[in-house]
Amino acid sequence: MMASSYNAKEEDGHHSGATSHGGAGAVKSKKPDNTAFKQQRLPAWQPILTAGTVLPAFFVIGLIFIPIGIGLYVTSNNIKEFEVDYTGVDVDSPCYTCAMNFSWNNTLPCTCSVDFTLEQPFESNVFMYYGLSNFYQNHRRYVKSRDDSQLNGDRSALTNPSKECEPYRTSEGVPIAPCGAIANSLFNDTLDLFHIDSNGSRNAINLVKKGIAWWTDKHVKFRNPGGNSNITLAFQGTAKPVNWRKPVFELDPSDPENNGFINEDFIVWMRTAALPTFRKLYRIIQKKSSTTPTLPSGKYTLEITYNYPVLSFDGRKRMILSTISWMGGKNPFLGIAYITVGSICFFLGVVLLIIHHKYDTRNNSADIPN
Amino acid sequence: VDCQSESFRYPQLYSPGQQNLYFNKKVFVRCMMHSWYSSLILFFIPWAAMHDTVRDDGKDIADYQSFALLAQTCLLVVVSVQLCLDTYYWTAVNQFFMWGSLAAYFAVSFTMYSNGMFLIFTSAFPFVGVARNSLNQPNVWLTIFLASLLCLLPVVAFRFILIQLRPTINDKLRHKVQMEALPAPAPRRPPPRRISTRRSGYAFSHAQGYGNLVTSPPGWSPGQTFTLKLSQYSNWWCFLADECRCHCESVHMNIYRI
Repeated sequence: MMASSYNAKEEDGHHSGATSHGGAGAVKSKKPDNTAFKQQRLPAWQPILTAGTVLPAFFVIGLIFIPIGIGLYVTSNNIKEFEVDYTGVDVDSPCYTCAMNFSWNNTLPCTCSVDFTLEQPFESNVFMYYGLSNFYQNHRRYVKSRDDSQLNGDRSALTNPSKECEPYRTSEGVPIAPCGAIANSLFNDTLDLFHIDSNGSRNAINLVKKGIAWWTDKHVKFRNPGGNSNITLAFQGTAKPVNWRKPVFELDPSDPENNGFINEDFIVWMRTAALPTFRKLYRIIQKKSSTTPTLPSGKYTLEITYNYPVLSFDGRKRMILSTISWMGGKNPFLGIAYITVGSICFFLGVVLLIIHHKYDTRNNSADIPN
Repeated sequence: VDCQSESFRYPQLYSPGQQNLYFNKKVFVRCMMHSWYSSLILFFIPWAAMHDTVRDDGKDIADYQSFALLAQTCLLVVVSVQLCLDTYYWTAVNQFFMWGSLAAYFAVSFTMYSNGMFLIFTSAFPFVGVARNSLNQPNVWLTIFLASLLCLLPVVAFRFILIQLRPTINDKLRHKVQMEALPAPAPRRPPPRRISTRRSGYAFSHAQGYGNLVTSPPGWSPGQTFTLKLSQYSNWWCFLADECRCHCESVHMNIYRI
């Protein structure tokens, strides 16, 4: 081994005779070029964690996070929210009879009304949500149980829905439109809000049902087959989902822009929630003017058409009235988290500064043994 | 480490590798704990931030697609910054790939969630509109920022404490180099005659090496080149690969001088 490796007389870059075939032809050099890239001499920035960078960074992060956290917390606290649970679990709850008497074959809808009082007036746009608890819209088989091609208005998918929709794909041999378990479990309670003013008379509050779904959903993802006109004709040959009382083209006959697959309540429902306790936008109460509050404080009545059964899986239904800010709804978590992390950061910075002071002098004297 | 001047001035740099300091059971357990902690942060921070939250125009943001995108973005940012923390040599190539990778993630996400892709491949790209609708919320970016920082602060603090309390040979050397502010070594001119490049090319000192041979050569006739023993690093010293020309040349200069 040694003998073949050492042969001083050979020229630079050439292999020993045994490895080059014939020896007479030119041998390609395997030596890499003397460029900065190939010789690993590229100019490089070499950051290291020194006290001069780490400690200021900790203090700066602490000083930035705490005001952000305070801002978020104050903003969240200024958002007004009111929740009414109307499931009807307790005997003395207004919707108890509706909940107990629920049956799938009911032709007459059951109504109940819940009275509540708003302590504070709600300004600017007020958003009305329905919330469900213990409802797992994030169950895998449930989430897959839809046909996006059908919902996008594809004619072939309308009459031949995807296999993912099973067992809600056909009903007595007729394809279901919209197919799948998500569509089948559409939330169909109707909520109406009335204000009881000082005279005792009920004023209906105007609830806007458009503008509640994402723009991309309404205009790109969901399309009616054959356009928005003649919708009844377009859906011929299909059946309504099993749990629905009305077929899809009767969701909102008064407004062709809100009928069929592009009905906004339907679109909002089809956007499956991530967590088992969720809220979905139901209606918007628009602000009247800058002087009058949208919902003045006082007595209100919520009229419910109780169509949606939740007690079988121990779920709960509620109605939420909420104002909105730049950070969304009322969620104090981010504010508290930012304040906490900022404080921890600042405290860690102090601790590290102490450690650095105590041990840095020792470091300077310790040298690398040569 | 590289072929700059420090690595042959300080061969102790190779000793942590020999002593298995970089990957042993303790390090593995530490790595597991870090992953466990990061996973909890990367799920529960988005969860808590999205719980009962809506967009700034009142519409939904707590749907499963937005939540998935949020958790994924947090993860990407944490991984990228962790990589930044572990990269000690920031060449132009590193910069390009680091920032490019993050940029590519956003580019690919927006492309996959665009109208065009949805209309062409409807069932394959159901997340249409999610990137646009969730990444324009300050709420979402604050959550990403918070999750990333929570994952990285313990790492930085821990490393800093270790550098202060128990510096390894690498840390001491880096500190020293920074203090001296060495310029980059100039590329050496190749000597007119160079020894052949067929040396066995290993630069790791795990094996015994040819120390015995070089310290007591059986017979040295003129014209033969050998590597000479140079202080205490004899058993692996100049058997470096062809690329580390700088080392070989410096040794050759030593030999020729003799």
